[in-house]
Amino acid sequence: MNDHKDRSNSKQPQSCHPQKQHVKDDKKSGSRFWKELAKGIVISNPVFILVLGLCPTLAITSSITNALGMSAGVIFVLLCSNIMISSIRKATPLMVRIPVFIVVIATFVTILSLVFEAYLPPLHKSLGIYLPLIVVNCINLGRAEAFASKNSVVLSAADALGIGLGFTIALIIISFLREILGTGSLEIFERQLFKLPGLFTHPLIFFISPPGAFLVIGTMMALFRLIGVIRGE
Amino acid sequence: MNNLLTIFIAMVIVNNMVLAKFLGLCPFFGVSKKLSNAFSMGIAVTLVMLIASVSTSVIYNYILVPYKVKFMNIVIYILVIASLVQIVELIIKRTNIILYNALGIYLPLITTNCTVLGITLINSAENYSILESVVSALGAGIGFTLVLIIMSGIREKLDLADSPKSMRGLPVAFLVAALLALAFVGFNGMV
Amino acid sequence: MRNKILSNKAYPVVFLAVIVIVSVVLLIAVNGITSSIVESRKREEIKGILENIFPEMSQYELEDEVYIIYEDGERAGYAFIARGSGYGGDIDILVGLDNGFGIKGVSILSQTETPGVGSRITESLFTDQFKGLSASDIALKSEGGKIDAITGATISSRAVVDAIQKKMVEIIDTLEK
Repeated sequence: MNDHKDRSNSKQPQSCHPQKQHVKDDKKSGSRFWKELAKGIVISNPVFILVLGLCPTLAITSSITNALGMSAGVIFVLLCSNIMISSIRKATPLMVRIPVFIVVIATFVTILSLVFEAYLPPLHKSLGIYLPLIVVNCINLGRAEAFASKNSVVLSAADALGIGLGFTIALIIISFLREILGTGSLEIFERQLFKLPGLFTHPLIFFISPPGAFLVIGTMMALFRLIGVIRGE
Repeated sequence: MNNLLTIFIAMVIVNNMVLAKFLGLCPFFGVSKKLSNAFSMGIAVTLVMLIASVSTSVIYNYILVPYKVKFMNIVIYILVIASLVQIVELIIKRTNIILYNALGIYLPLITTNCTVLGITLINSAENYSILESVVSALGAGIGFTLVLIIMSGIREKLDLADSPKSMRGLPVAFLVAALLALAFVGFNGMV
Repeated sequence: MRNKILSNKAYPVVFLAVIVIVSVVLLIAVNGITSSIVESRKREEIKGILENIFPEMSQYELEDEVYIIYEDGERAGYAFIARGSGYGGDIDILVGLDNGFGIKGVSILSQTETPGVGSRITESLFTDQFKGLSASDIALKSEGGKIDAITGATISSRAVVDAIQKKMVEIIDTLEK
């Protein structure tokens, strides 16, 4: 539990490199499932603490619909690839493991893309190139290398769900802020939820644009770290 | 010719890979304070982008499209890129060991760099010919290097500044990026 | 026996090859299912738009790039898809022609122009302008034609105009042969 503290002051984003992602594992099972799950949501939140999966995050959070679609996609890929990689972990030779992980992840991303194209065309269109970019999202390769290749299928699934949920929550927070401030209203899957009278007529378009994304995430990161500082220290 | 110039300028400034398309953020925020390292990193990525764009463009235009297997692009592109990075890494190791050590872990990480896969996907999405893909990749790489150099220069000052504990490091870097992105938005009407 | 397989020098390569083969097979299978859905949806979409432009349409045929429209067995007109380069990317336009090669109707199929500005090319106040015009009329008013551009969206408007004009001339040429 201690090794995330020294990351909170580190200057560099966590790379896909497995050593920097290691959070202490202990050997009990059963309730571990839920523990792994909870871990991914706050303590090892992929976006705000581990700083993984940045690229799609910033691009997709201009609308909450896109954020939800992307999160669903990432959870799907992460879950499937973690399970797959975990189940073949004993047979996978160390030398070719990275290419193997990449092929597995790329396959599931392609499946996701094909399914979205057929059944959710507007989402597929608005996610654009960020959908296939899930392949290089460090979350997948990182968790595959750091966790799935070393743990049982069940625990790997829990890890995937936890990290996936953490990712989803982060995305929802960011896109909620950006959409409310940037358009003055909230729309989910083309159904308008509500409008904020003042903001709707004069939306702060800044937040929908790229600089706004940087601003929101930077602020949220500082906030999450502040929470960590207050509770941890 | 006009079209190629437009593509090039658009990629460098208007649709800058980092500040407009949000690709390549990991190396951007992790860039070293030494300008020469930032420059080398940028050049290395640009090189990989160029070679990857040419190979994937050839594969796309001569294999994927005619045989109607466009959906295989994700798997094939990432495998091509992964192999390319391995080869480039080997070449750098043999020819310039100093550079190799300086780049360290970041070299193999170019594989998972969004910019490289990103540019190959952009080229396919826009149905660029091989020549257009090259120009696009060149522009994207130069734009990426440009932003990396700017950030590297700012980095040093950032670390010396006195910021609140929770803002230190990444959050402040993000705010700087916000300002940079804002500046680049000014280029929007250009093409 | 197991260790003998695992320490075989060729094993890593074989393993990777197997994974790749499995993935390719899986993808071809999924693509087979989804592509037919995508195809039929595209056809439905085109059919819907054609019916909008030709309300009396009973059936249509696609020959090369031209849709031939039939009303009760008689040729009622033609349609084609023009593609232009807009401000934000490609713009796909469906253009309907009557038997005299005048425009019956125009419908924007897809565009990624600036919302609220360039995207207004989809509005009927813009597309209705094309009705009844012949190829020589298709240009912006500022350039000698009969089309009013959308205020503040000259680039998007011009892209549509240019695309339609060019393709129309091409298609009429083909049809006359």
